[in-house]
Amino acid sequence: MTTAYAATETPIVKLVNVDKDYELGTVIVPALRDVSLSIAAGEFTVIAGPSGSGKTTLLNLIGCVDIATRGSVIIDGSDTKVLKDKQLTELRLRSLGFIFQSFNLVGVLDAFDNVEFPLLLQGKLSKADRRERVMVLLRQLGIEQYSHHRPGELSGGQRQRVAIARALVTEPRIVLADEPTANLDSKTGNSILDSMQELNARGTTFLFSTHDPRVVSRAGRVIRLVDGEIADHNATAEDVAQLAAAAHAA
Amino acid sequence: MNTIIQIAFRNLLQHRRRSLLLGGAIAMVTLLLVMLSALLNGMQATMLRNGTTLSSGHVNVAGFYKVTAGNAAPLVTKFEPLKELVEKATPDLSYVVTRGRGFGKIVSEESSLNSVLTGIDIQNESGFKEIVQVASGKIADLAEPKTALLFEKQAERLHVKVGDNITVSSQTFRGVNNTVDVKVVAIGRDLGMLSAFNCFVHHNAIRDLYELDPDTTGAIQLYLKNADDAREVAAKLRTVVAATGLRVMEPVEQPFWRKFDAVKREDWTGQKIDITTWLDELAFMRYTLTTLSALIFVLVTVLLVIIVIGVMNTLWMAIRERTREIGALRAIGMQRGRVLWMFIVEVALLALGATVVGSAGATVLCLGINAAKIVVPKAFQMFLMSETLWLIADVPTVARSLAIIAVVTTLGAVLPAWRASRLQPVKAMQTAS
Repeated sequence: MTTAYAATETPIVKLVNVDKDYELGTVIVPALRDVSLSIAAGEFTVIAGPSGSGKTTLLNLIGCVDIATRGSVIIDGSDTKVLKDKQLTELRLRSLGFIFQSFNLVGVLDAFDNVEFPLLLQGKLSKADRRERVMVLLRQLGIEQYSHHRPGELSGGQRQRVAIARALVTEPRIVLADEPTANLDSKTGNSILDSMQELNARGTTFLFSTHDPRVVSRAGRVIRLVDGEIADHNATAEDVAQLAAAAHAA
Repeated sequence: MNTIIQIAFRNLLQHRRRSLLLGGAIAMVTLLLVMLSALLNGMQATMLRNGTTLSSGHVNVAGFYKVTAGNAAPLVTKFEPLKELVEKATPDLSYVVTRGRGFGKIVSEESSLNSVLTGIDIQNESGFKEIVQVASGKIADLAEPKTALLFEKQAERLHVKVGDNITVSSQTFRGVNNTVDVKVVAIGRDLGMLSAFNCFVHHNAIRDLYELDPDTTGAIQLYLKNADDAREVAAKLRTVVAATGLRVMEPVEQPFWRKFDAVKREDWTGQKIDITTWLDELAFMRYTLTTLSALIFVLVTVLLVIIVIGVMNTLWMAIRERTREIGALRAIGMQRGRVLWMFIVEVALLALGATVVGSAGATVLCLGINAAKIVVPKAFQMFLMSETLWLIADVPTVARSLAIIAVVTTLGAVLPAWRASRLQPVKAMQTAS
């Protein structure tokens, strides 16, 4: 387990006694229970655990697209519970980058426009600067030649790279990736992980939700979730592999 | 904003069939609204043109003369000084005519009919000569005394042609029956409702029939450069005329022939001046237009409701299909307002495109119909006040129709778009593709 970038001790993500319940009709289903954790800026962290353990819920809370039922979620110094929708959206736009499992690209925009979109929402850069930044990222991710292809004309790996480029284009402080390799073959998955590690080396904090051993093996830190609770704040790849094998056997 | 327009435009293109169906419906409603409005404009213009030529000036200085309290004649005595006064007091005056007014029976050898009788001095009637199309005879021959102009339908009913004599019979204002023989010198083409009950004779024929002095007339009709100024001018003339000591009647929005009963019941004798506008004299025709406008309004409202329901339904479908996309866009930092705009712009683009197509189609159709000079059935001629369909799709009409349909259609998108903007990102992203 190595990380090229030396993480600082200042937590960029901090959760204190967080519970998250979902209401299914009259039944309340607890998704997370008493979760407390700290992630320092520059970490390359994996949240591992079997399906239904609460990985995506935790990622959603950190990504400010959902609100904790109890407890505090502090992202980049802001307590998400006290922020209004507009401020949460602004926080997502300025500080966070999302990579979704199913890419969630805008189908009618080509790769270039999809990546450029968050920059347009920010409205800070000139057209030329936006173009340069998008093209640099597409080049780094090896999909420059597909910049005018729409998502429907791209393979799964290419779409995922476009999604990664969209998440990174605003130079966010934190990148959240939900099962980023789940829909990819091993070669493409490894290639994408290489790209992410390179970016992490330049200072971007990465937080993955996955149970893919390939991702776990590259993480600087593995947080293991079981049944909505943190079972281990610094698990080893072996722990996760054993857990996955047990879950598979069961 | 450019990207939002781009997304909207491409989404419309991607769902081409849906966009075409909805856009087609919007275009059809626009086309219908423009054409109905053009028909209404045409009728209105025809009414103004024909009505103010055949039965009213833009402003009429007329009145009633009562020998006894219970009797009333539509006369202006010693009209020359009054004519001079109103001519001087009227700004932007185009021309002035004096006309005799009466009502009587026209008798031919084979038939008879009742008609409004209008006495004219054809030399002064420049507008009349322009509007009335002669089917046979010569309109200039009306300058000869004891002559008449009938319209086609009247001539047909009376079985007369140019050169035949007819007898005009009426009761004088003193209550004595009198007749005048006149020669038909011209037969004009029908001009709808008004030409059905209007017969024009030489002014002196009216004077002979009612045994009037040469300084007596029925009405001084003023034609303005702008007919829209009529009410303002009439109000001014009332003050000017009243200042000379003449008695002036209170304005009532009625044609002169509907005032007889009320005037007869009033306890006064002598002359009273009644200053009216074409809007008063043609009020009964305006009711037809108002009714038609109301019908158009109801029809277009119903169609618009259907369109709005269609828009909402289509947008619900689009939002349902794109829920995950909305969630993702919200997650990457798109504010609710922009999501709202994204969907509104999509509908606005569709509405604008469709209304432009609909308006253009309607304008071309109107021009084609006007050029084809389509003769409408006789029954419709009465209402259209013209033999042929005449549609006026002018710029304000087209722009108004386009704006109404585009705005209402776009407003139909507000609720679904607002609901889309309120979607919780996390829930939207969890929606199945």
